[in-house]
Amino acid sequence: MVCSINCVAVLGSSGTIGSLVGGLIAQSGIKVYFLSRTLQGAKSGLQKAIAQARSEMISRNIVCGDYDHLLESALEKADLIIESVTEDLAIKQKIYEKIERYRRPDVIIGSTTSSLPLTALVKGRSESFKRNFLSTHFYNPPGKMLACEIAAQTDTDPEIYDFIKDFLENQLCRVLIPVKNIAGFAGNRIAFLLFNRITALAEEHGVEMMDYLIGPYTGRLMPPLATLDLVGLDIHRAIIESLYKNTNDEMHDWFVLPDYINKMIDRRALGNKTKGGFYKKLESGKYVFFDPGTCDYIPAIEPHVAFVEEAKHLIHIGMYREAFTTIKTARGREADIVMNILCTYVAYSYARIGEVTECEFGIDGIDRVMSFGFNWAAPSLIVNMLGGKKAVIELLDERGLEVPQALKSERESVKEVSNSGKYFVAR
Amino acid sequence: MKCDKVYILGGYQTDFARNWSRENKHIVAMMREAYQGSLLSTKVEPSDISAAFIGNFAGELYCKQGNLGAFFVDFDPCFVGLPTSRFEAACASSAVAALSAMAHIMSGIYDLVCLIGVEQMKTVDPVKGGDFLGAATWYEKEAAGIEFPFPKLFGKLGDEYEKRYGLDNKYLARIAAINYGNAKKNPNAQTRHWFMNFEHANTAGKYNAVIDGRIKVTDCSQVTDGAVCLYLASEKYAAKYAKHRQRNLNDIPWILGWGHTTAPIEFAKKVADSAQSEYVLPITRKAIVDAFRRAGLANCWELDVIETHDCFTTSEYMAIDHFGLTKPGESWKAIEAGIIEMGGKLPINPSGGLIGCGHPVGATGARQLLDAYKQVTESAGDYQVDGAQTAATLNIGGTATTNVCFIVSKRH
Repeated sequence: MVCSINCVAVLGSSGTIGSLVGGLIAQSGIKVYFLSRTLQGAKSGLQKAIAQARSEMISRNIVCGDYDHLLESALEKADLIIESVTEDLAIKQKIYEKIERYRRPDVIIGSTTSSLPLTALVKGRSESFKRNFLSTHFYNPPGKMLACEIAAQTDTDPEIYDFIKDFLENQLCRVLIPVKNIAGFAGNRIAFLLFNRITALAEEHGVEMMDYLIGPYTGRLMPPLATLDLVGLDIHRAIIESLYKNTNDEMHDWFVLPDYINKMIDRRALGNKTKGGFYKKLESGKYVFFDPGTCDYIPAIEPHVAFVEEAKHLIHIGMYREAFTTIKTARGREADIVMNILCTYVAYSYARIGEVTECEFGIDGIDRVMSFGFNWAAPSLIVNMLGGKKAVIELLDERGLEVPQALKSERESVKEVSNSGKYFVAR
Repeated sequence: MKCDKVYILGGYQTDFARNWSRENKHIVAMMREAYQGSLLSTKVEPSDISAAFIGNFAGELYCKQGNLGAFFVDFDPCFVGLPTSRFEAACASSAVAALSAMAHIMSGIYDLVCLIGVEQMKTVDPVKGGDFLGAATWYEKEAAGIEFPFPKLFGKLGDEYEKRYGLDNKYLARIAAINYGNAKKNPNAQTRHWFMNFEHANTAGKYNAVIDGRIKVTDCSQVTDGAVCLYLASEKYAAKYAKHRQRNLNDIPWILGWGHTTAPIEFAKKVADSAQSEYVLPITRKAIVDAFRRAGLANCWELDVIETHDCFTTSEYMAIDHFGLTKPGESWKAIEAGIIEMGGKLPINPSGGLIGCGHPVGATGARQLLDAYKQVTESAGDYQVDGAQTAATLNIGGTATTNVCFIVSKRH
């Protein structure tokens, strides 16, 4: 078994995650091979890694090359292989064949996937390959988002798992979330349920209104539909489809993609990468918003809802708990929407304990991935802000949401409000 | 009743990596979070607080907000009518607030003072912020019309060292690398996730631009938003506080010594005045020596750790010989010998200092005091200096115009 990581090969180093994770490893002083289909691709990855580090010095630790010329010699030296090629089962399986051919028998292989089944990925691979294979799911951009989910598959050697966990935590300074081998792991499972629910509500209430209501003041750095523009709707659809296919839970129906999202994808309104998704910036600098009803862009309505404005003001002056009391006690359609989303977030998160993370960690792992992977206020923090466990159980009951056993049995949260203020943004 | 000893009961630091303007927060939110965090960490009863002193440099410029003491009264209904004041001495604002708190406690006026240091700096772009900072110099003479006046002035400090004793810039790069390295262990440090190594700090380039002369980006402290709240108490209150928490009074640190000096505001005059001195900044040296004398320390080797004012690498280079780690002009020897590193004979800035931890100007003095408290109570976590009993802080305002040195110890 490998006992220290001195050399790493990153496959798929032209992509965002491959290059930035490779860059992080190089920053810690380890030699990294940036491998891609073309040398040019690997070199473009190097530039991304340099920009992330804000230092040309890391290039001293990075060797760029293409698969045809450098793969064999790089894999002979690598103690760890990070596979970050396109999220496509066939493409990944093909690259694993190559890895199998050239790898050292003890090399550790980590895939950055979170949505493809690990067992399918290693189908047909040797026993020793499977023993050394696991998922290391980094969040984007890894320089700022510290969460890293780690999942073993059936044959992963527990010693390898512990070794990589230690490496990620202590050498790459990741916030580690041990997760079970299930589609979407913890973070994407929960976040994308919420995202999809909000896209469905946008059909009725409009894109701009939904991002206004579920805006940063509810405990997130970015509004949800703006976040999906950043992710890309094609990626969103792939994740939602994978979650629908590979999971089954009490909110399974909410993993059905609203049809207008398919139309957006057909029209290449994918988000920021196509300069238009839910939001589109005009030359004047103003934004227009996608209208799911007409599938056209409509001008801003600039919503103004009294309780939202009051909550934002309270957050502006640092009175977070009071802001949530305002949200909780507000009445009307908009208040219902906000509270339903917050309660869904809490109920769905607590219900996943034991399914996506081990029961013994309680809500901790899910808290960490939502905070360090998405910049969202953790579910337990929302419970705290809404008045504690007992109050939230009542709120869930009122909304007909199943109260998760894990919430009932969870110790009352003692999270310090003052440590968590950064998740409440006055916008 | 007059009181000889002033105790520190602990406190709270906000995460210096945060950008409060991006969070669309008012400066009061920062003060409130620091205050609420300090209650959780110290368990002080709000109704016991006799007064609140706020250290802040330029709230009026950065936030269009003055009279910061008034905001404290909003934090708890029992504070209505409480005496509060705001103190300003450039980067030493919260250190002078602490000195005033000490004076009030020692004279028997107050028993428990809540001290908040705060600065919100990311409200403006760096050029405008640099101009605001120029107000800490003699603005008309040293800053008006000059982009980034402070790096230029502290570059001149390096130039003076070079002239008198010689200075190899690689030692400045080493200071930067050490501070960034230490900051990685500090969960509240602004740069804890930033990449840095000696080669990067020692090389000018696209990502390490030269600001002026020998000063590159990595030689500078950060533009930082942050607040720190801590409590200074009389012996009478500290004894009551300890008793209620089943703690031994002797385990609570106190301010063993202090020094406070002010030099002429113009940097050129400071340097001209020191022509006959072996120290480049003898008025700064005097603040340190005064603190040693009041604390009964023979020299720096009775300290276990120093938190110093490294607004630039040149100011830490100055602090090394001014604290007496080396003879004047020989700071490089302490750097080369690893004395100032974690695990060295006298570590400097285990927190990361202003370069690594961040420099919210009006909060820095309070942050140093809190870090001194953490070190001597063995509560500094991953950046703890093993067995630290006595710590020194040096907070300077302007171009070492206002100088405040504290010695914090749990030796009684």
